[in-house]
Amino acid sequence: MQPPGKIAAATVIRLEGRHKPIYHALNDCGDHVVIINTRHIAFSGNKWEQKVYSSHTGYPGGFKQVTATQLHLKDPTAIVKLAVYRMLPKNLQRRTLMQRLHLFPEDVIPEDIEKNLLQEIPQPRAVPKRLDEYTPEEIAAFPKVWTP
Amino acid sequence: MAAPSLLCGGLRRIFSGLLGSGWAAPPARALRQVVEVTEGNTTTIEGRIIEDAEAPPPPNPSGQCPICRWNLKHKYDYVDVLLLSQFIRSDGGMLPRRVTGLCLEEHKKVAVCVQMAHRAGLFPNHRPPLPEGHVPKKPKLNRYLTRWSVRSAKPIWRRGPKWCKKPFPVGHPLLKDNIKYTQKPLCLNH
Repeated sequence: MQPPGKIAAATVIRLEGRHKPIYHALNDCGDHVVIINTRHIAFSGNKWEQKVYSSHTGYPGGFKQVTATQLHLKDPTAIVKLAVYRMLPKNLQRRTLMQRLHLFPEDVIPEDIEKNLLQEIPQPRAVPKRLDEYTPEEIAAFPKVWTP
Repeated sequence: MAAPSLLCGGLRRIFSGLLGSGWAAPPARALRQVVEVTEGNTTTIEGRIIEDAEAPPPPNPSGQCPICRWNLKHKYDYVDVLLLSQFIRSDGGMLPRRVTGLCLEEHKKVAVCVQMAHRAGLFPNHRPPLPEGHVPKKPKLNRYLTRWSVRSAKPIWRRGPKWCKKPFPVGHPLLKDNIKYTQKPLCLNH
């Protein structure tokens, strides 16, 4: 339930290595980043319907435009991947840093990646509680604002 | 149809006050429970008034609407489901303003917040009744702070150059006066 843009901003910082005090552009000190549950990202506003991802195959008549919904249903990791790719600095290091990014649509991660995970990046957005996730005590403790 | 019922309610209170000396008139508006009792060949259908526990007094009793009385004027959002659920019906629709007692601007703000909460999926049990056991399809996409309805939003095929980009609307301008606990300005267009 996280917005892909904020997730991408946090991962780009880690991929470049800017979160380390020994950072330098020539140091190659970035970390590998694993993003899970990319199928469950949430866009704010009506971006699912309004955001359009365009590409051209290079051949005439090959201009393809896909809405975010269609792209997400076709490939659940594509939106986060494109968000990170477009936020990285536009230099030759971008492709190598993208190879250090690992995206998984669900919770399932291969074992060799899972045993190497060290740190969890905090979630950028506080996910709100649904009405049925509140306990009856909390619902009763909340005062009635108007009486019928 | 609204005018005759209002007159009946008002006349009933006047007459009950005149005729019954010392007998307190029942409240004209209360939550009632329909009770049907069948004795022999007599069926009595009664609307028994549900007595609620006394609510604690609001911090600002001189307010005109419930939001002003509880000092919540610019302090609620689509996330505050416990507050918003008090103004919705069981099928998810808003209650009318003459029943809840909200002022016009607060009623509109609450309506907007309720719409955004519905689209975010925060009211899973306040769905309209569906006919003939038709199974609703589960929404596959998570969203929040949606200004327009899902079916009405069209793709922005050409966003334009950087100096005149067509923005994505987020949130609602009615809620732009809410108090912020961060220094970041509220962005209604992404």
